[in-house]
Amino acid sequence: MQPEQQLRASLREIDDLKAALDEHAIVAITDPQGKITCVNDKFCAISKYSEQELLGQDHRILNSGFHSKEFIRDLWTTIARGKVWKGEIKNKAKDGSFYWVDTTIVPFLNDDGKPRQYVAIRADITERKRMEMIAVHLAAIEKSSDDAIIGKNLDGTITSWNAGAEKIFGYSSEEMLGSSILRLIPADLHDEEHHIIQRITRGESVQNLETVRQSKGGRLINVSITSSPIKDSSGKTIGASKVARDITERKLAEEKISQLNAELERRVIERTAELEAFSYSISHDLRAPLRAMGGFARMLQEDYAATFPPEAGRQLERIHENAMKMGLLIDGLLEFSRLSRQPLNKRTVSPAKIANRVLEELQSDMEGRHVKITIGDLPDGEADPTLLHQVFMNLLSNALKYSRRCDPAVIEVGARKDGGRCVYFIKDNGAGFEMEYAHNLFGVFQRLHRADQFEGTGVGLAIVQRIIRRHGGRVWAEAEPDKGATFYFTLEGENIYV
Amino acid sequence: MSDESVEILLVEDSPDDVAFFVRTFNKTNLAARVHVVADGKEALEFVFCTGSHSARNLANRPKVIFLDMKMPKVDGMEVLRRLKADPYTRTIPIVALSSSNEERDLIESYRHGVNSYIVKPMDFDQFAETVRVISQYWLQFNKTPKP
Repeated sequence: MQPEQQLRASLREIDDLKAALDEHAIVAITDPQGKITCVNDKFCAISKYSEQELLGQDHRILNSGFHSKEFIRDLWTTIARGKVWKGEIKNKAKDGSFYWVDTTIVPFLNDDGKPRQYVAIRADITERKRMEMIAVHLAAIEKSSDDAIIGKNLDGTITSWNAGAEKIFGYSSEEMLGSSILRLIPADLHDEEHHIIQRITRGESVQNLETVRQSKGGRLINVSITSSPIKDSSGKTIGASKVARDITERKLAEEKISQLNAELERRVIERTAELEAFSYSISHDLRAPLRAMGGFARMLQEDYAATFPPEAGRQLERIHENAMKMGLLIDGLLEFSRLSRQPLNKRTVSPAKIANRVLEELQSDMEGRHVKITIGDLPDGEADPTLLHQVFMNLLSNALKYSRRCDPAVIEVGARKDGGRCVYFIKDNGAGFEMEYAHNLFGVFQRLHRADQFEGTGVGLAIVQRIIRRHGGRVWAEAEPDKGATFYFTLEGENIYV
Repeated sequence: MSDESVEILLVEDSPDDVAFFVRTFNKTNLAARVHVVADGKEALEFVFCTGSHSARNLANRPKVIFLDMKMPKVDGMEVLRRLKADPYTRTIPIVALSSSNEERDLIESYRHGVNSYIVKPMDFDQFAETVRVISQYWLQFNKTPKP
């Protein structure tokens, strides 16, 4: 072969090798000062810089800041001495992302034995590094977890055992690796493991199964177990991971909570019984002397009216009236207490039907009066029918009472939507009240009108509020003196403590 | 005295209520004898002719018993229970007089077989009217079987 042909063949071989190398590796050549003189496409692709941007720069352009100065110095001393350097380097690409390269730098020397240029050949190991990092993290998690993390085969042989497992069950990993998971399971629960394995084999997992396991000393431990299939790369289930959490303390706490709840419940029942006994004795014992006071005043009037000065007769009348009034107050208080204690039986009710029924019962209050009442579209609601009846009774009889001097009295029962909630309202054109006293409206025995103008005990609206609050709703009012009042209420969707 | 027939037995521990009852009853034109006992124990002795009433003739059963439900010692409910449990006294009408309109008192009374349940009105005039109406009803209109 001619020398020229030989040369050509060699050059072609070199070209072929370079092409193959460019296909496989990230290649850069730098001068002795470290300036980049040549990069291949793969270098550009991974660093996201163009060839023009790289040529003439040194490798600091790719510095990720990850490596120590010593690391970099060692690299340079090695190659400056003409030795090959190998290592893993973390670089930063143009867009700020990081990548790892497995790097070999080969120095080429001139006739004086000084480096003439450096050829760096690198391979992308970013993914491998990522996996390594995950593995390190997982190992740390497994090691530091208080939960027992156990791996096992489908036949129940334990393949991994962490410190948490050792802590909970008392066995070391040496004792447990290779032995059966059944060692942890009380004999009467061995079936359970069978079911777990069946599910795992089907590729299903078991979530938070609360059960009992036993420790090395035979102590029973309340645990919550989550077990999931471990699959090989082909998707075949080859084992199971099992995370067991010691919930003994939680179980104790739960037990304590349920004891406390029972205790509270018992106390509530006790207090309710005391309250009932109290109301009961009020109802019996306070009424009797009042009846006697009123009665004797009346008897005095009947028997001695003729011999009394007229003023004495009027005063006796006031004794009688006040006794009656106190009787009504006691009745109101009892009613308030009774409706507060009565169990709430919620169901779907038609407020329109209830309002109509109440109006029928109030017919006698309307006799001889000109009253216009309209009942609009009232959506059904969730309420105790008896208690809601009481609400309409109190609000409608108020509306009738305070519109007594209006001709005609106009009363409107309606509903509107407000932010998804239904707000029911009862509006009248009666005496109304000044809004600055509105906060007193719903208190027991609170009244905004003088008894000689509008009679009443001041219990009705307190009852309304108590019932509405027990339903989880809210009641409020808007009014203006002599222009009427509107009472609004909802049956749900409000914090009862507002 | 022991052979005199009593038409109304009033069992009432409150002297005030006794005074009201007797006063208003006397204003009605019902010429009936009213006997008052002040507690449940004596009420049972009276009807069963035992203890302080052992001299009474058992056949002289009251035509109606007005029974206050809340009394010391043996209360109205116990009197009611005992009288309704005995075949001989079961048919004597018993009208409960109570200060309470608590639902559970009504339920309990009817469960024990009370014939009527009246809440004593607070107002004296109403009280008087009530005494007149119930006395007239039970003495003049109501019929009871012989024992």
